[in-house]
Order: sequence, then structure tokens, then C-alpha cells
Amino acid sequence: MSTQQDNLTPRQREQKWREIRYYFRRYAHWFAGGALALLATNYFGLSIPMQIGEAVEQLRLAAQGEVAADDALSALLTGAGQAIILLAIGASIARIISRILIFNAGRFIEFDLRNDMYVKLATLDTGFYNSMPTGDVTSRVTNDVAYIRLLYAICFLHIINTTLAYGIAINKMIGIDWQLTLYCLIPYPFMMIVLRSIIRAIFDQTKVVQAQLADISSKVQENLAGATVVKTFNLQERETKQFATMSEDFYNKGIRLALLRGALGALTVFVAGVGTLIVLGVGAMRVKEGSLTLGEFVEFNGYVVALAYPTQAMGWVFSVWHRGQAAFERVVAVMYRDNALTPPEEPRELPAVEPGVARGEIIFDDVNFQYEGVDQPTLRDVSLRIPAGSRVAIVGKTGSGKSTLVKLIARLYDPTSGSVRVDGLDTREVELRELRSELGYVPQEPFLFSMTIAQNMRFGLDALEYDQTIGRDAPLTSLLSRTRTAANQDERIDEAVKVAGLTRDIEAFPEGLDTMVGERGITLSGGQKQRVTIARALLTDPRILVLDDALSSVDTQTEAEILDHLDEMMRDRTTIILTHRYNALSRVDTIFVMDEGRVVERGSHDELIAASGLYARMYEQQKLRESLEE
Amino acid sequence: MTEKQPKKDGQKVAIGSGFEEQQLGQYTDFSLMKRLWGYMQPYKWTFLACLLLLPIISGIQVLQPYLIKLVIDEHLVPANLDGLGWVLGAFAATLVGRAGFQFLQLYLMQSAGQRALYDLRVEIFAHVQSLSVSFFHKRPIGRLMTRMTTDVESLQEALTSGMITMIGDLFTLGSIIVILLFLDYKLALVSFLVVPPLVLLTAIFRHFLRSAFRDIRVKIARLNSHLQESVTGMQIIQYFVREYISAGEYDDINKEYRQANVRSVRYDAMLYAVVEAAGSITVGAIIWYGSGQVLQGVVTLGVLIAFIEYMQKFFVPIRDLAQKYNLLQSAMASSERIFQLLDTNERLPTREEPLALPTGAMKIEFRDVWFAYKAEDWVLRGVNFTIAPGEKIALVGHTGAGKSTIMTLLLRLHDVTRGQILVNGQDIREFDLNAWRARFSVVLQDSFMFRGSLRENILLGAPNASDEELVRASERVHAHELVSRYAAGYDHEVKERGANLSAGEKQLMSFARALVHEPEVLLLDEATANVDTETEALIQDALEVLMAEQTSLVIAHRLSTIRKSDRILVLHRGELLEQGTHEGLLEQDGHYAKLYKLQYSPDAAAE
Repeated sequence: MSTQQDNLTPRQREQKWREIRYYFRRYAHWFAGGALALLATNYFGLSIPMQIGEAVEQLRLAAQGEVAADDALSALLTGAGQAIILLAIGASIARIISRILIFNAGRFIEFDLRNDMYVKLATLDTGFYNSMPTGDVTSRVTNDVAYIRLLYAICFLHIINTTLAYGIAINKMIGIDWQLTLYCLIPYPFMMIVLRSIIRAIFDQTKVVQAQLADISSKVQENLAGATVVKTFNLQERETKQFATMSEDFYNKGIRLALLRGALGALTVFVAGVGTLIVLGVGAMRVKEGSLTLGEFVEFNGYVVALAYPTQAMGWVFSVWHRGQAAFERVVAVMYRDNALTPPEEPRELPAVEPGVARGEIIFDDVNFQYEGVDQPTLRDVSLRIPAGSRVAIVGKTGSGKSTLVKLIARLYDPTSGSVRVDGLDTREVELRELRSELGYVPQEPFLFSMTIAQNMRFGLDALEYDQTIGRDAPLTSLLSRTRTAANQDERIDEAVKVAGLTRDIEAFPEGLDTMVGERGITLSGGQKQRVTIARALLTDPRILVLDDALSSVDTQTEAEILDHLDEMMRDRTTIILTHRYNALSRVDTIFVMDEGRVVERGSHDELIAASGLYARMYEQQKLRESLEE
Repeated sequence: MTEKQPKKDGQKVAIGSGFEEQQLGQYTDFSLMKRLWGYMQPYKWTFLACLLLLPIISGIQVLQPYLIKLVIDEHLVPANLDGLGWVLGAFAATLVGRAGFQFLQLYLMQSAGQRALYDLRVEIFAHVQSLSVSFFHKRPIGRLMTRMTTDVESLQEALTSGMITMIGDLFTLGSIIVILLFLDYKLALVSFLVVPPLVLLTAIFRHFLRSAFRDIRVKIARLNSHLQESVTGMQIIQYFVREYISAGEYDDINKEYRQANVRSVRYDAMLYAVVEAAGSITVGAIIWYGSGQVLQGVVTLGVLIAFIEYMQKFFVPIRDLAQKYNLLQSAMASSERIFQLLDTNERLPTREEPLALPTGAMKIEFRDVWFAYKAEDWVLRGVNFTIAPGEKIALVGHTGAGKSTIMTLLLRLHDVTRGQILVNGQDIREFDLNAWRARFSVVLQDSFMFRGSLRENILLGAPNASDEELVRASERVHAHELVSRYAAGYDHEVKERGANLSAGEKQLMSFARALVHEPEVLLLDEATANVDTETEALIQDALEVLMAEQTSLVIAHRLSTIRKSDRILVLHRGELLEQGTHEGLLEQDGHYAKLYKLQYSPDAAAE
């Protein structure tokens, strides 16, 4: 058996096989046990035809008066019947054991692979996620992993079972009549080849049908997405006609697939019958000649019939094998994906946060940054210093590089050149997760998970509390007063609700903080979501807080209240605000103005207004816009 | 994984918990069957032929062991080979016959079944086309897609393979029972001894399997929604260093999923083995009891062997019946979801006998128009204005002012909540919907392109236009020059959503699309997408052509477009605040003047 995907490099092929072996070895003992059980089941099961044959032979002899039909014969025949029942029970028990061992091995491999994939995905860098669509990623962990499970379970079970069945049965058949055996086996290799080619054709046609189905799906998708256009241009009929044509095509392709399947079914019938036909014809003659007894004839046919199913099963093995190999390649492509962020060889620790000592100094030293696959650099020669404990704002047009700047602080990316330092240490020298655990990030898009509001707020706190691999402990400092220690996290969550201005919103929900977010629960407004994400970030008590346009859906008064609380909370810590809105800007220490990846102006609000540069112009615009919205 | 376990139960709720399966149960199985039959009826003769083939196939299948009996009783025991050739020929014929008929039956079944589902698929699609825009706003596209693809697929699976083989299995079982009773009823009864315990065991294992499968479905859904959400929110997970906690959660659900599967593997293995054993155990019983009968001469040796042969075919259908029943059940669930969709009738109310559209010039009037997508959440509040024939109107205002709503109402994508839109004094709701929409030529902000050729995309609204008209329209809006750049010209294939065209190209194509339509009224929502200066010049020029003659209503973002208009309507939060000419409004120094300063003064480029 060879794989169809031969466009692999030797290295990739080696990786694939290394993984295949790795997961097999983990459960090698189960597979071995399964194989032993298969041996037992085939041994028992294939002992039955001999019992039947002997009984038949005795009956024939008795019928022809060659042996006496006495009690001894009755006992012999009854014994044969009992032996068959016992053998059947034995084979059955061994069958159960073999299937449980081998299928469970498949399930456990699936389990391991899913977990291993998840951990790999959880540690892959942002660049990877930019390069692969979400659907593709999840499909590898769901569909491909399921195909791999079948690769292990089905292929192993049937290859071993068929081999054993053939080995034992042919051995016994040769023992009875080697010439008859030869006659019977002649069609099998031929049928195996035809079977394989039909299955290959089915495999290919299935792909054709699936491609057509995907085509139809994207037509439907296009149609639904363009519902307005369809109605505006009265395209309903045209669209239906196009859809009908595509469906017609799908029908024809589907029928072809059905015919191939039908051919497979017909061939299967042949496989089951042809052996028996040969035994009937050739065997009858040999019985007549006297070189084969009737009992042996019946026994022999029993083996031929017993081989029919294992032969058919091999056809299935071929298709599972191909699919599984292709799936493994896709999985390995993720597993062996290099992380763009190299961990420090000797990680250094950030200086500890102590009461009364300002922390969170950030220095950009001549930083350039360019996204992969983008022509132009996003950050150009950025050098700036954000002093520990200060409040700064970064402003600029969409696409000026503000968001990228803060992503470098969190080391979602490494700078193309230059360095980013936090409290004196290059971000690349600090353990990545240590660095991020010191950062409170409130994203532009308020992404919440479908958990309760409380669980969403605890999202980062949980990690500090329960994940021992993170050096930092869960903070207990009160959010409202830096000098006080809260009794427990629940108290802090209540404080976070207050700080984020969510008190009234939470009270309005019947289940309060335990209200589910998302499809099953309630839909939060944009502003509510933003404030939950703020609470989420504050609960980790970060030394650097980043608000990436995080208050855009919050009204100005609430915004001011939140910022008041933050001033208190973030005393001695650094706060970075990215915003399009200017009412927050008069309260920060320094404003950095970005344009086309460069920092073009810096200073306090008043200074920048006085300089009447880009900032001053943007400010004027904003004032005008706000007056329009009144 | 080294994380500590969460202490409180409440925290164990992992990512993706907000998931729930859709509830069904509005339709009875009978009513579903009846409706499904409606789709099969046009092909009832083919279905009937299929059904007729089933007993033939079963009969042939059941004949084979009987032929073996003949060989043994007539030829082998008496050692007489005369006429063996006939029996062998008959056996070969059963092989060929069964394969042939089975193939034929499958072909008929597939062609009729897939045809019926083709009809259903097209009906669903056409039905969805007839629904109003508000229907689409309320439902996620993904769910509608599932109805039209996955659900129809599972129905097809059940209809073309499940149901018919189930009937076939029943025939096979029935004919084996008949032939066994015919051969020797006592031996037959002994053979059937195994059936009751087998059926009982099968039922028990099925019961456990079903509960395991139910568990598996719930767990896999949770597992996948956890994964889906994790991948989507991975950046947040990494920001909050929650990788290992999340992996731990995933591991927990994964473990539950695995355990459910381990249970199913166990019962599945037992079910499989028990059915396999049933045949052999019965063979044992037949020899145990039957050998005595043979010795007494009551039963021939051939009959005994035929019984043994039959036992290999007897139990598999019993096992498969239950499995196929499950397949049918899931198909029922699918058909229920499909019919739910087909029974949705969200359409704009139309008159039984719509009034004829005015033939001459159209005077359009918005009279106290109010509109809200959701109750009391007003997007338009009492808007009044008229558009005289030939007049060019520019709509300006901030995002959310209600400009595009005016356009959708005029096109009757939605109906007004209060008030009226009148044409020559006639409410537009009195007209035929499609005929009304055909009066307009529309350029939407998102120049939506369909997969297909450029020609098809330009001729969307006027499929019968000649090539000359196509070229002339394209030339006038500078689209022809762009088209000529492609080797295939107007046959150039556009990818999905126009992915292989630039924003500027798409705009010009949609201009050509509007122009070739020769509309009475032009509705244009100017795109704000950034284009290079060269294309911008082309667009401005094309806009001039586009707006030259007929009545037009334009949501304007370009100053040049606004200046070309006869009148400007200034909207703010759903109200018509000011109207007049550019100069007149600037003089007023009101809302428009501010907007102008913000968006069109030289400094506006700053943001």
C-alpha cells in the first residue's frame, strides 16, 4: 500500500511515520493483546468447520451403513454439537476482547492526539493563526484526528484478522486437499485487485462528489450573503436556476458514485459465492473419485465461506488507509510547525512588584516591524520610553501601527529589528508566559467566551490561581484601595464590577454574575462586553495595562468614571491607552502620535495642541465630530 | 498537565459551555412520512420497481443453500454426478442473477431517490429566495447552510440506502423462515430457539449503545465548541496565559468523550460478537439435535447442511435492522428541520391583484415615514420629502443617520413601520414587488460580485441585453478599459465575492451593471473604499455619466457627487434635518456646514 500524497518531502514523510510509530507504541501492548485475541477468535472460529465436517461424515457413514448408528455415535455427534457451541462462545469472547482492545487503542490515540494538538495550538504563535483559517485548524483536530483513529483501529484489526484467517484457513484447506485449495484461491488475488481498483474509483468519485457539494455550499453561501443584492436585482429565478444546474450536476456525479458502490456490492456477492461454486463443482468430482470425503467437502466449504468477509474487509482497509495517511499529513503539518518565538535559553525574572515602587517601564529601542506577507513595514524606527508608573496614550489613524506596537510589548510578535524592553529586560529574555502574566490587555474587539460573566472575568485570574507553571501568584490586593488586601477573590470580582461600571448592568440580569454569555445566554451590548473585558484584565492586577480602543462603545461619562478608578488602581503601574477619542487624553502624562508606522509627535495634550501639528488637527476633527453627535 | 484543579464547581464550566442542541418535536413521524412521500410520488413507478426487485433478490439469495442441499442429497451421498452440471449452472446463475438484480435495484433506487431529493433541494433554495430580507438578518448563514446541505444529505442517505435495505432485510428474513419451515419444521423451530435470546440481548446492547451514543453526541458537541472557541479566541487565551488551564478543560471534556466512546466500543463489540456467535451456536444446536433426526432418517443430510448454510445468512439482518432504524430516526430529525424551514413564511405582504405600475414619470413621496428593525428602536423618525421626476437627490449624514434605510425602504426590502411611500399618489405596497424593484437601478456600497464571468456580473439586472449594449454601457463608465485588460475579456471569471478584482474595478463594474439596466431611477450608495487617484478619476467621471439623465437618489460621500445634485437631504439620527443646495446649506451654517468641514475640508484627510 502506498500513499497517494507523494508530494511530501522525505523529511515530512519521516516526521509522519515517526508520529505514526510514536502513537502506535504508546498502545503497542493493547494492539499486541488485540492481535492475540484475534488469533484466538480465528483459531476457535475456524475449528468449527472441522467439527461440522466430522459430524457430517459420521452421518454419511451411518446412512450408508458403514458405521453402526449406536449410542456411541449419538454421543459423538452430540459431543460435536456441544463442541461447536463451546468454540462459538470461545471465539465470541475472544472477538469481544480483540475489538475492545484494538478499538479502544484507537480511541485512546484519538484522545492523545486531540490533547497533543490542543497544547500545540495553545502554544503556537500569532503568525501561525494569521496563516491558517480557523476552519482549517479546527478541521484538523476534529475530522483528521477521527480519520487517524480509523487508520489505527480499522487497518490494524482487519490486516491482522485477514492475515490470520487466511493463514489458518489455508493451512487447514491444504491439509484436506491442496489441489482444491489452489483452485479455490485462484480467483482471490484477481478479485482483490478488482476490489481495490473499484474502491480506489469510489474514493476518487467521493472526492468529486464532495467537491461538487462544496461548490454547491459556496453557491448557497454566496446567495445567502448576497440576499439583498439578489432581491434588489430580482435575481431569485436566476439564482434558483443556477442552483438547480449545480444540483443536477451533483445528481449525476452522485449517481456515478452510487453505480460504483453498486458494482462493489455486486462484486462482494461474487466474492462470497465464487469460492463455494468452485468447491461445489471441483469438490463434487473429487468426492465421486473418492479422494475427498463428504465431511471434508463440507468442512472445506466452511473455510471458503469464512474467508469471504475478511476479503471484503480488505477493500475497506484500502480506503481507510489512504484517508488516514492524508489526515496524518495535515496533523503533522501542525505538530511540526515551528514556533516563531524562541524561548530564552536562560530566562531572567522581571523585578518584583513592591508597594511604593513604580513598575512597568517600557522601552522601544529603534524597533522595526514587518508582518509576514506584507510589503511594507508596519513600524519604522520606533524609539520611545514609557516611564514606570506613567499613563500614556498612543493615537493615530487606523493602520498607523498603534495596535502592532502594543502587540510587541506582549510579544505576540518579535520585532524585525531593534528591541522592546520591559522593566529593563528584553522581552525575548523573559519567559513568555511570565511576561504576559504581568500584562493586562483589553482588546479592540471585546471577545468573550461562552461561559458565565463571572467566569469570563476570572479568565486570567484562574490561570494565576490554578496554573502552577506560572510563577506569579493570584493577586489579592483590593482593586479600590492599593493598600488593602481583599478577603477573597469574590470580593475582588465585586470590586471589578464596580470599577468597570457594570454594577447596574449586572443587577439587571436575573442571574447576576452567573449569567451565561453567548448563544445560550444573553447577548451583551458592545459596551457591556468592553467593560467585562476591562474587569477581566484588572483582576490579574497587571503591572502594565493596555486599553486598545477599549472604551469606544462606552458613553463618555461612564468612560470618565472608569478612568477615575483606573488612576487610583494603576498608581505605580503603567497604563497605555489607544484611542480615537480625545476626552481621555487630557488626563494622560504623555501622548505619542503615530503616523505610517512612525512616532511623529510626543508630549502632553497641551504641548501638542500648542505645537499645532498632526495631533492638533486630529483633535479639531474630533471636536467637530463630537459636536455633530450631540 | 501540571495545573491544579479548580476548587469550585462553578468554575469547572469550560469555554464553549454556552452550547445547546436545537429542540425538535413539532411534527409527528406520520406527518413527516406523508410529506416525504409527496417528494417520492413523481417517481413512484421506479420506487415500486425497486420494491418488486427486493423479494426476487431475497429469493435468489435463499436459493443458494438449497442448491447445496441438492448437490449433497442428489449427487454426493448417492455418488452420482449426472445432472450436477445443471445444479452448478443454477448456482452460477444465482450468483450472476443476484449481483445483477442487486445492481439494478440499487441503480433504480439511487436515481429515483436522488431525483426526489434534488427536487427537495431546489424547492428549499427557491423557498429561501422568496423570503424577505429580514429573515436573513435574523438567522446565521451557517444554520441555513446546514439545512440545505447536511440535512438533505442525511435524508438522502436514509432514503436511498437505509429504508430500502431494511425492507430487503425483512424479505430475506421472511423467506429464510419460510424455507426452513418448509424443509423441516422441527429443525426450524430448534434453529429459531436462539432468536429470542438474541433479540433480547440485541435490545439490551442497543439500549446501552443508544445512551452511549447520546452521550457521545453531547460530548463531541461540547468538545468541538470548546475547540472552536479556543481557536477563535486563542490570542486572548495567550494574553491571559490560560493555555494550560484551557488545555486542562479540553482534556477533561476529551476524557468524558473518550469514556463515552469506550462504553460504546464495549457494547458494540458485544453486539457484534453475539450476532456472530448466534449463527455458530445454532449450527451446534442443529447438529446436536438434527444428527439424531438424520440417523432416524427423518431428515436428509442435505437438509441438515442447508440449515447450517442458512444460519450464516440469518442473523446479520436481525442485527442490521436495529441499526437502520436509527438511521431512519436521524433522517426524521433532518426532515423535520427541513420542513420547519419550508414552513417559514416570512415575506412582505403583497396584494392578491397588484396595481399596475405608473407608466409615465414617477413622482416619489416619503410621507411621515417611520422605521424600526426592532420595536421602538427607531431608525427613521417621521421623514417627509418628495422627489420630482428627473431630480437628483443627494443624501448626506453621519453613519447611522438612516441614509441606507431610506434606500432599502424605497426598494421595498423592508416595509415602512409607519407612514407611507407613494408614487404618483399610489402606495408602493400596492404594486407587484418584483415589477416595482425592476424600476430601479442600484449600485450598492458593497459592489457584490457573484462567481461567474464579468459579463454575467454586469448583466445581472438585464440578462437579455445584447453584447453591443453591454460594451456601450461598459465603455461609458470606463469599465470596458478594465475588462479589455483581461485576456478573456468579458468572459473573465470572477472568483467568489469578487476576490480577484480590486475595489475600484468592482465599483466600475457595478456602475456598468446599473447603466446597462436603463433604469428609471438610479439608487446609488457611494463606496468609501480607498482607491488610487487614477481609478478615483475614472469613478468620478463615470458617476457623472451615471447620474446624467434619470431621477437619482445618491448616498453621497464625495463632494463632487454632492455638488452634482439638485438637492441635498441632510439626515441626522433618523430625522430629516435640513435640505437645500450645497451653497444654500453652507450659508445656513447648520449641521451640513459642520459635516462639510469635517469630511470635505482639506484637513479632513487627517483621519
